Amino acid sequence: MPPHTPPPLTPAVFHILLALADGPLHGYAIMQAVEESAGAELRMGPGTIYGSLQRMEEAGLVREVPARSDDRRRVFTLLPAGRRALVAESQRLMRLAALVRARRLGIEEA
Amino acid sequence: MIVRHRWSRLVFGVLLRLYPAEFRARFRRDLEADFTELLAQRGRRAAWSRALHDLAPSLRITHVDAQATAGRRLYTHRPGDSVGASVLFDLRHAVRALARAPGFTAVVVLTLAMGIGANSAMFTLVNAALLRPLGFHEADRLMLIYEAIPARGVDRFGVSPPDYLDLRAMQMSFSAIGAYRVSPFELSGTETSERVAVAQVSGEVFPLLGVNATVGRTLTTNDDGANARVAVISHGLWQRRFASGDVLQQQITLDRQPYLIVGVMPAAFQFPKRGAELNGEPADVFVPLVFNPFERQARGMMYNYSVLARLKPGVSARQANADTSALALRIRDNYPAVVREAMQSLAITAVPLRDDLSGPVRTPLLILLAAVALVLLVACANVANLVLSRAVVRSREIGLRVALGAAQRRLVQMLLAESLLLAALAGGLGLLIGQWVLRTVPLALAASLPAVHDVTLDWRVVAFTFVISAATAGVFGLVPLAAGARRDVHDLLREGTARLTASARQHRVQAVCVVASVALALVLLAGAGLLVRSVNNLLALDTGVRADNVLTMKVALPYAGYNSGPVVRNFLRALHERVSVLPGVRAAVLATDLPVTGEGERRAFTPEHGVDAANAPGVAVTWVYGDYFATYGVPIVRGRTFTPEEQTENRQVAVVSAGVAERFWPGQDPIGRRIKWGLPGSAAPWNEVIGIAGDVIDGPITSTPIIHVYVPYADVPDAALGAPVGGLLRQVTIGAHAETDAAALTSSVRAAVASLDRSLALTDVTTMEDVVREVTAPQRFSAAVMALFAAGALLMAGIGLYGVLAFTVAQRTREMGVRLALGARAGEVLRLVIREGMTLAAVGLVCGLAGAVAAVRLLSAQLFRTEVYDPVTFVAAPLVLALAALLACYVPARRAATVDPIAALRAE
Repeated sequence: MPPHTPPPLTPAVFHILLALADGPLHGYAIMQAVEESAGAELRMGPGTIYGSLQRMEEAGLVREVPARSDDRRRVFTLLPAGRRALVAESQRLMRLAALVRARRLGIEEA
Repeated sequence: MIVRHRWSRLVFGVLLRLYPAEFRARFRRDLEADFTELLAQRGRRAAWSRALHDLAPSLRITHVDAQATAGRRLYTHRPGDSVGASVLFDLRHAVRALARAPGFTAVVVLTLAMGIGANSAMFTLVNAALLRPLGFHEADRLMLIYEAIPARGVDRFGVSPPDYLDLRAMQMSFSAIGAYRVSPFELSGTETSERVAVAQVSGEVFPLLGVNATVGRTLTTNDDGANARVAVISHGLWQRRFASGDVLQQQITLDRQPYLIVGVMPAAFQFPKRGAELNGEPADVFVPLVFNPFERQARGMMYNYSVLARLKPGVSARQANADTSALALRIRDNYPAVVREAMQSLAITAVPLRDDLSGPVRTPLLILLAAVALVLLVACANVANLVLSRAVVRSREIGLRVALGAAQRRLVQMLLAESLLLAALAGGLGLLIGQWVLRTVPLALAASLPAVHDVTLDWRVVAFTFVISAATAGVFGLVPLAAGARRDVHDLLREGTARLTASARQHRVQAVCVVASVALALVLLAGAGLLVRSVNNLLALDTGVRADNVLTMKVALPYAGYNSGPVVRNFLRALHERVSVLPGVRAAVLATDLPVTGEGERRAFTPEHGVDAANAPGVAVTWVYGDYFATYGVPIVRGRTFTPEEQTENRQVAVVSAGVAERFWPGQDPIGRRIKWGLPGSAAPWNEVIGIAGDVIDGPITSTPIIHVYVPYADVPDAALGAPVGGLLRQVTIGAHAETDAAALTSSVRAAVASLDRSLALTDVTTMEDVVREVTAPQRFSAAVMALFAAGALLMAGIGLYGVLAFTVAQRTREMGVRLALGARAGEVLRLVIREGMTLAAVGLVCGLAGAVAAVRLLSAQLFRTEVYDPVTFVAAPLVLALAALLACYVPARRAATVDPIAALRAE
């Protein structure tokens, strides 16, 4: 697959990347952020989040950073490849949204 | 907070163990901290809801996606994303792996298919006999009712007409109760006549069974009127005799009386079911049961009817039995005082129909089912061994996979896929083998098992085969894993380069497999040995008759043509004359039953001045015309047989069996003593004993000889011989003792019967040899099947031992070479290998002996004159197995001893 057109991301990966876009977070904070961004359409528990983080780490999208001294939880941060994947996916979604708007399907936001 | 949610946290901690170890090591603390925070902020319900929803997807991510292909699961629409796809991947891989090793695959599939096939076949029998629905509405609520006279040693017989009528009027436990009786009728008409089984059923029986006719109607209580000549026929007869055409309101002729056909039953309908002690032959025609005035008054006799009843809702079988037992006392009060006092007691019992049908075959069948399961275990042990050997050879492949990043779990899944594929192939083949076996090999024997007549495949058999195949895959698939699970990747790779050897752990597992198969084989051998010994004792048993060169057949004289004593007597005399003078016939007899089969009539009788004569049990009685004793080779041990005059005129004489004389007139001369029918108070005339015949084993072959009385047909009053009902006396068994070949006489005896009455149908044409064999058929069936299983297990145990040794020797070729090069003699190497193999065999034999000692006790009730711990069996079985083991060891040992040292060393 050519690097400039990465394949569509799964919703879980997309929302985790989105949560990390503003800075490093630990698992529980990611979960809360995903709840906010995805709402009821995607409920992820800590197990799913850590599992996904592990996979994403292997794929070079995120990296674990040393934790601060008071809190021993593992904190993850976005890597450049992760940011690129997030941007690419966002652009793809926006293109899709534009397509939908152009068709005037009557489902535009109020 | 922490204290408040202690239990939740504890349970959650346990759930965490579901995750892979590495994942747990890294994230356990985080997961626990997150869970605690969820508990604190959102409460127990929400926290658990989240945690449990999280479980399935997270386990999938951490386990299934943890394959070497990192990056998966991050993107949508990728092949191999789902669990299903990974299974498919494994199956494809398994197909390829097995296709690369066709020899291995063939041996494994065939071995398992044999084991599964045998199980499938055995289960088909068990299913037919014990599990399959009887085909009646709520059949588990149907009961059969029996009467008994415990005080006189008569523990079970049918119900007499007046007792049935009393029961029907007085009982409270059943919603309905009906009576039936099966007897052979002559079916005549346009074609040749034949004998068919006819069930006379009371109007309640069909509604009780709850089965409707496919054409027309069944019989109801409206048909119970005295002159209703209507008939319902079976599907089989409809096809055979009427080509499935329009039969309603057509006439059929039964015993030369016309009946109107009013219905045809469905093909699946079989009634009565085979296997019942009484009236246990499926009928082809059903006609109304009509009791005549004599039968209605027949207290204390004619206990010939089967009574079927349906439990009322809420009434248990036990309650119903208690009810009928209590009724027995009241019904006995209706007996005439003389009879009542003489019989002393009357018992009426109700047993579930299912128990009555399958009771006698249940234990033998379950024993065989257990035995065949052992055979499959031996097969599993063998296959596990093979798979293990292959795993050693494949260790390099597996090592490479691990080195390339395959997770242990994926490896397990992959190997399990191979096992499952092998088991599926074997299961399919096994099902075919099982059905083929049932259709060809033992059916001749199985047909003699009472309840096993419609042996066919159904969903239960398929499901059973499927389940045991899957279980098999589990057993032989997981054993090698247990052996190889802890192997170090580096070891695997290093070993894989030049030499392939089994680890000590694999060696141990292989040894356990060999020991187990030897032990199981010994258990089966011991069981088979005992059953074979028992059958040998049965076959060696002197039944009291001479079986060779005796032809027998039956003919029944219908009332319509033979409705008076003189007519019947004329026929008997003429037929006996014609058969006696046939070329090749030494002696001939006409009698009311066949010896050894136990089918004869039992009657109450009183020996004059006999010891304890008042408590005499029923005696078997045979009416004869001709030389019964010469024909069947029953010796006259004292006195004489009947003279021609005594055959034609009633001279009040009888021949009794030795058992009668010993029991009632011990130490006295029985000749000249007298006996009479009925209880001591009966008005029957006395018959003088003129001869003592040898004892004949009659009925179940394992029983003691039944006391027997023989009287001439002349003893029967004309009225009884020509009576419209009670046709037993007109069911004549022809016996002919041939000079050479009994079967060769068949056509000439047939011709003799036809020359007297062309439309009489002959049935049960057979030789006494076959009759005697038939009596031992169930035991021979058990022994033959068990012997087959044992032989299979013996073969597999031998092959297993051979396989392991051959493999070890192949692996240790170099060691053998070194030994030989350093001066070891071939004999020493030979002994070395044999000692290794025989050590395993010896351990197996010891375990097997212990198992056999425990297991054979299950057989004790099946054995005839054979000790459970029969010394011959317990010496011979281990000896046979030891010899087989020695043979299995010798071949690989021989190969080890003939290793060329130079070649072996150069190969390194």
